[in-house]
Amino acid sequence: MAVSGMLKVKDKNPEATLEELLAGWLTQGKLSAILVPVLAKSGAAGAALVSDADRIAGTAPLLPAMAVNAASVVRDIAKLRSEGTKVGVLLRPCEMRAVVELIKLRQVLADNLVLVGIDCPGTYKAAGFRDVAGTDSDFDNRHVREQQNYYDNPNLRTACQVCEHPKPMVYDLEIGFLGLDPDKELWLDGATDKGAALLEGVELAAGEEPGQMQEYLKELAARRKNKAETRIKELDEAAMGPENLTRYFADCLNCHNCMRVCPVCYCRECFFDSENFQRRLDEHVRVSKRKGLTRMPSETLLFHLTRMNHMMTSCVACGICEDSCPAGIALLPLFKKVSGNVQAEFGYLSGRSLDEELPLVGFREDEFTAIGEG
Amino acid sequence: MAEFEPRIVGFLCNWCTYAGADLAGTSRMQYPPNMRPIRVMCSGSVDSVYILRALLEGADGVFIGGCHPGDCHYVSGNYKARRRMVAFKSILRSVGLDQDRVWLRWISAAEGRKFADTVTEMTRAIADKGPSEFRELWEV
Ligand code: SF4
Ligand code: SF4
Ligand code: FES
Repeated sequence: MAVSGMLKVKDKNPEATLEELLAGWLTQGKLSAILVPVLAKSGAAGAALVSDADRIAGTAPLLPAMAVNAASVVRDIAKLRSEGTKVGVLLRPCEMRAVVELIKLRQVLADNLVLVGIDCPGTYKAAGFRDVAGTDSDFDNRHVREQQNYYDNPNLRTACQVCEHPKPMVYDLEIGFLGLDPDKELWLDGATDKGAALLEGVELAAGEEPGQMQEYLKELAARRKNKAETRIKELDEAAMGPENLTRYFADCLNCHNCMRVCPVCYCRECFFDSENFQRRLDEHVRVSKRKGLTRMPSETLLFHLTRMNHMMTSCVACGICEDSCPAGIALLPLFKKVSGNVQAEFGYLSGRSLDEELPLVGFREDEFTAIGEG
Repeated sequence: MAEFEPRIVGFLCNWCTYAGADLAGTSRMQYPPNMRPIRVMCSGSVDSVYILRALLEGADGVFIGGCHPGDCHYVSGNYKARRRMVAFKSILRSVGLDQDRVWLRWISAAEGRKFADTVTEMTRAIADKGPSEFRELWEV
């Protein structure tokens, strides 16, 4: 049975209010542990698996900095079947979308997880976040309080500046604040039995989802969509065709960081790292002879185009690939464009629903019938 | 200048198009020698990486031949190949690469004539396009 309503925020401190809620889930034994964003004393932004309710106070559920897409963490901890434990995972919308893809790809087992999605006005790069936040202990709260400022904030991660999905789409429980005054109240939506169970005994002002949330969201999505379209248009002019595409990736070091940090690029051993892909010296010479010379490291463009073919249907445009690229290649706009186009072919949106079939897994006999017929 | 001879890499399904090619050969049908055939076990086994590698190394065209819908030896390999081709071409279009250098066609073991005609047709189409830009572009 679904349960939803408004949670009163104490002392104009939504983060502390959330921490109290989370700590309650641990003390009441509703959860054995919960994955929450943290900002460590060292300044490192990340996530922690918290099992001791007393340690929740040191976490940062509203942290507006992203070091990894936490779906990668969920994939690492919840791949194997496990007994008798229930773990909550507090995830931003793009992280949740990636988890949904991973569940469908059978890389995450959700049986023992409770998916807690939280609204996100946008995040900063984890690297350098210390300098952005400074010593302001109220920074996280200010970030959600001044959400109107994040319509067009040029300091956010590039992915966030063009993100059209700042609200989780699939969840057991949603923590919402976009469009609200988070100094006063937070919207909690326990959409499933698991989510509703977390709200048992929590005092809520019952009611419908307030209209202003949808209005704010519409406005935000429209502005960002606009910005995304502009970026993609720039790209259409810059990255099209063999020459421009090669130039786009000219600085690529072939380090494969972009793949390793990608939440949906899940293969334990990438094809590109496999024996299959190793060439003998004489084979390298044979390939070189085709053009007279081959660039070394070789096949960087092959890597990127293949990666696109393998995971574009699940890309959530989180931009973590771009953040991790040591060569500073603008991966996000390109991947956002390509994944948008590919997903549109199948009427699919990554992470929108657990029931939508993965485009490259299923098929229908009566579709795309012109292909193959000449 | 010597006339441009397209180099086409063909991935042919063992159970249909490869046998169709064989039939065209044993029936002494004439068709251009521009396709280098590679026998694969199913059109569904042709990963994008093989098509892309051929293209980036300078092949002027890539051909994939599979069983007609409903006839795949492994039931649904060709249906999946079809979906992957939709994604593949969408990606090529998105990055401005020529999607018409890659052909997927259904040709059965009995269709030797169709095989010869398709190779002829493709060779002409690619010859009209001219050489792939990746022939010269070494820094890919
Ligand atoms: S390709 Fe980049 S933007 Fe897309 S899901 Fe992977 S890391 Fe995120
Ligand atoms: S992270 Fe950047 S440099 Fe490394 S492989 Fe990806 S695009 Fe190339
Ligand atoms: S066996 Fe020929 S396409 Fe699958």
